[in-house]
Amino acid sequence: MDLTLNDEQDALRTATTDWCRDNMPLEHARSRAPDLWRELEAMGWTGMTGAGMELDHATETLVFAELGRFLAPVGLLSTAVANRWFADGCDGKVALALAVEEPGPLRVLDPAGSRAALMWKADGLRLFDALDDQAPAPTIDLSTWQRRQAWTTPARTADDPRPPLHLQLLAAAFAVGCADAGRDMAADYARLRQQFDRPIGWFQALKHICSDMAVRSAVARSQLYYAACALDAGDAEAGFHIAAAKRLADQAALDNGRANIQVHGGIGMTDEAAPHLCLKRAHLLQFIAPADTLLLLG
Amino acid sequence: MDVGFSPEEARFREECRDWLQSNMPREKRPLDAADAIGFDKAWQRQLFDAGWAGINWPVAYGGRGLSIVQQVIWLEEYAKAQAPWIGANFVGINHGGPTLILNASEEQKACHLPQILKGEAIWCQGFSEPGAGSDLAGIKTRGRIEGDELVVNGSKIWTSFAHVADWQELVLRTEEGSQRHAGLSWAICDMHAPGITVRPIRKMSGQTEFAEVFYDDVRIPLAHVVGGLGNGWKVAMSTLSFERGTGFIADQVKQGHEIAELVAAARANGMIRDDRIADQLAQMRAEVAALRAMTYRNISEVVRTGQPGPEASVIRLFTSELGQRLERMAVLLMGEAVLDFAYGDDNAVHDYLRGFAATIAGGTAQIQRDIIGERLLGLPKSR
Repeated sequence: MDLTLNDEQDALRTATTDWCRDNMPLEHARSRAPDLWRELEAMGWTGMTGAGMELDHATETLVFAELGRFLAPVGLLSTAVANRWFADGCDGKVALALAVEEPGPLRVLDPAGSRAALMWKADGLRLFDALDDQAPAPTIDLSTWQRRQAWTTPARTADDPRPPLHLQLLAAAFAVGCADAGRDMAADYARLRQQFDRPIGWFQALKHICSDMAVRSAVARSQLYYAACALDAGDAEAGFHIAAAKRLADQAALDNGRANIQVHGGIGMTDEAAPHLCLKRAHLLQFIAPADTLLLLG
Repeated sequence: MDVGFSPEEARFREECRDWLQSNMPREKRPLDAADAIGFDKAWQRQLFDAGWAGINWPVAYGGRGLSIVQQVIWLEEYAKAQAPWIGANFVGINHGGPTLILNASEEQKACHLPQILKGEAIWCQGFSEPGAGSDLAGIKTRGRIEGDELVVNGSKIWTSFAHVADWQELVLRTEEGSQRHAGLSWAICDMHAPGITVRPIRKMSGQTEFAEVFYDDVRIPLAHVVGGLGNGWKVAMSTLSFERGTGFIADQVKQGHEIAELVAAARANGMIRDDRIADQLAQMRAEVAALRAMTYRNISEVVRTGQPGPEASVIRLFTSELGQRLERMAVLLMGEAVLDFAYGDDNAVHDYLRGFAATIAGGTAQIQRDIIGERLLGLPKSR
């Protein structure tokens, strides 16, 4: 039993954070550079657990939490998972389709430049060919575009619980990163912003909002680690632990997103400042591989 | 990272389970501390004789010298078996003992640690005062040095088990005119010494478990000061950080039982069809799982670095608030039966009323949030 990072994981996590800070700052989430996707692929994040990589989900989860912290494109989730479970025929970007019943239509997130769209369903993943007959439209998350497309016959993963769990786990990691981003942005501001001749973080009313953000982040991250280990170990309860991780991470992302805006006061509710970017991403993440209440009740 | 246990650890778990299965008392522990004291002492002695007391305490002082992971396994199995609360031994086992291990002289350790493990000495904690609650550094109880003794005057309050205790971890001001954290000492006070008066206080749940303690020229040998005169704050903090780190494992397993029972109860009475109730139950089941994950993370931090990380205070806060949410839900699911509660009942209403202590005792939820904001997030100190 060990839920701390080993030296290798720690180094990988730090390197990921550093790269993101330099190349994919959160503040630019709404207008990413056109060649960002190529760089993400070059960094190896689209196929970390692919065949021959021999990397565990625990390590992958750490990296995805960092990517999520900088509001990385959600297409990373679908591409990484498709690379792991659809051995042939999906090199290149795979967009993310939200779960719907046939005959659709599909709501495809982050479709730009994608060859296929991956849909999460609790009983298995579906891979659709990309259709680009409809124009892309914005979503609430200013960093994510969407496109509608008709239902076509998808490829699907075999009778195996792991593929959908993998996507749910990585989506939870993104949400944990998003929650952390809100917490850190609020704490940074509370240390700097002065009112009544002192930093606003001095006041318990503001300090305790920030502390609650730290609690939500710590709770969600701990369950994320546990869930990743459960999936790596083939634990019979991995499904429950991943659903728990997703629920807590989604909630942490949303609640921290709201709290961050409140801590920022006036500037927090502007389009110009960054806090709303985290909140809006959190709203999007709720719909990606959502946790099933009945499963959580056991 | 992994959440599995080694074959030795798995074998150890089996041993714990088997022993508890055939040896733990089947009768309920009495609620009032005075009625329960005989029960508590006998059970602790039985644990000691079988080698289950002080699993990770040093062998020299009667412990087993095993790993903290084995201690965690024992506590998990203990809670799974629904073995009785260690009651009056709580302070000695979870507080006084660990503080002595970290700070005391060889002589002090040799004298007290074996007695604590055997259930022969009951300890209580003299920290809070009427004027020093959350502001613990406002302690006024003073010890004047006279020859090789401290002469103590003042009072303490909210002292759990004071009326049944033999010894007290007493934090007092030993340097005249000193302010705040300076000039305090941590001393071992004999609760049977002349000049001590204990006035038990009844809780809103009905039982009498804590007390006010008055000191009127109580004499304590200077040799009973732990960690040196004037170092009381540091010594006291070493106990509190322990409590915030690893002292709550049993609670977490217990919460796992409670949520399973609540889901079953809500299914039985149909209230689970209320989406809000189903949603809250699902949330709490996820939270209980996360609490275990967070504890494992903290324990593995201790194994790796020798001490709990700063997130220990997050565990403390989260455990206490989650416990209260579970207790509230249990009362909600009871419906009108809540009205039948009377002092002496040992049921969900009792647990709910008693549970208000969780966010007050040992540092209020507000103080915990200050600590989290200041130590984890680097926000400026408010006080």
